[in-house]
Amino acid sequence: MSESSAAPGVERGTPGAVKLILRLALALGRPSTRVLLLPITAYFFVTAPLQRKASRAFLERALGRKPSLLDLWRHFHCYATTLLDKVYMLADRPEVLEFRLHGTKGLDRALEQGPGCILLGSHLGSFEVLRVLALHHTDRPIKVVMETAQTPEIDRVLEDLSPRIKDSVIPLGSPGALLRVQESLQAGAMVGFLGDRMVSPNRALPVPFFGEPAHFPTGPLYIALRLKIPVILFFGIYRGGNRYDVHFEPFLAPTSISEEGEPDLPRELGRYVSRLETYARQYPYNWFNFYDFWSR
Amino acid sequence: MREQNPLEHEVARVIVDALGLEEVNAERIDPDAPLFREGLGLDSIDALEIALAVSQQFGVQLRADDEKNMEIFASLKNLTNYIRENRPSG
Repeated sequence: MSESSAAPGVERGTPGAVKLILRLALALGRPSTRVLLLPITAYFFVTAPLQRKASRAFLERALGRKPSLLDLWRHFHCYATTLLDKVYMLADRPEVLEFRLHGTKGLDRALEQGPGCILLGSHLGSFEVLRVLALHHTDRPIKVVMETAQTPEIDRVLEDLSPRIKDSVIPLGSPGALLRVQESLQAGAMVGFLGDRMVSPNRALPVPFFGEPAHFPTGPLYIALRLKIPVILFFGIYRGGNRYDVHFEPFLAPTSISEEGEPDLPRELGRYVSRLETYARQYPYNWFNFYDFWSR
Repeated sequence: MREQNPLEHEVARVIVDALGLEEVNAERIDPDAPLFREGLGLDSIDALEIALAVSQQFGVQLRADDEKNMEIFASLKNLTNYIRENRPSG
């Protein structure tokens, strides 16, 4: 996969501007910064033609009609808002936001099944809502597996905000990355993975998504099946205002893995993508992959 | 390429079996060549598989926080030396 399709352009487009938002967000507080989001969204909207094109292509599939300019604006504004809110989540100031957690009983049950669990998230909504879970399950460490910094500038600002963040990230890229994942799971951690971003073509499969095959990573589910670790899906959907609906869904139980013999990775991946599509259809403006998702 | 010593040969077989590298002849793995990226082109999932197999076959735990990790996984020679040094005696 080429670099340009791997990274969402808006994220890396103008780090200077993003950095400024992050600093303002904490200095001024959310209500004031939200006003600033209007000119900022307008700026992205005008200067990011490729992302506009990607937005239009996605919304047309998800809405089942030609999206209007207002739809595109809404999509961009939704993304910009979650980017802003990322600051409050990572800076341990989630009290400015309202989180409604759904399905935590399933999560708790899954945590009883294994030493740790894999939390499979995506670029649908906010992946960072994972941090809020740290408040719900104070006894469980949270780790997040990520590709090595796609947004190094933003990451640096965020690390300044909360040094703990750096410790919680397991960067992919070194041979020992998944050994760290394994050890964290054994120590009872919840380990977050992104389920919708292909890291390597060797570890991806085409799966129908909105009617056309797109490549999805097999890594997270492979690891879960291999190590017999429960998997919970989560979606941190932005609902407007300061509200987030966080949905948890038990997806894979270790007991079902051992009983069924040889695990069927393509089938499990297909099952995951179908859940992702269901949520993406319901909350299309939360889809934050601003590139041609079906390319190659 | 220099010839594999007996333990290197054993470790090479374990790697090939664990990763299902059907097209790779275990005896042909250069002990000094990189295992990851260039060389055999392995990735972190392969590293996990190798660690599981090494633990099972040789009773040696590869640990993530080991600072020498990059070095251990650098080549068949290094991995074999690590196993030799950390093998439970007897």
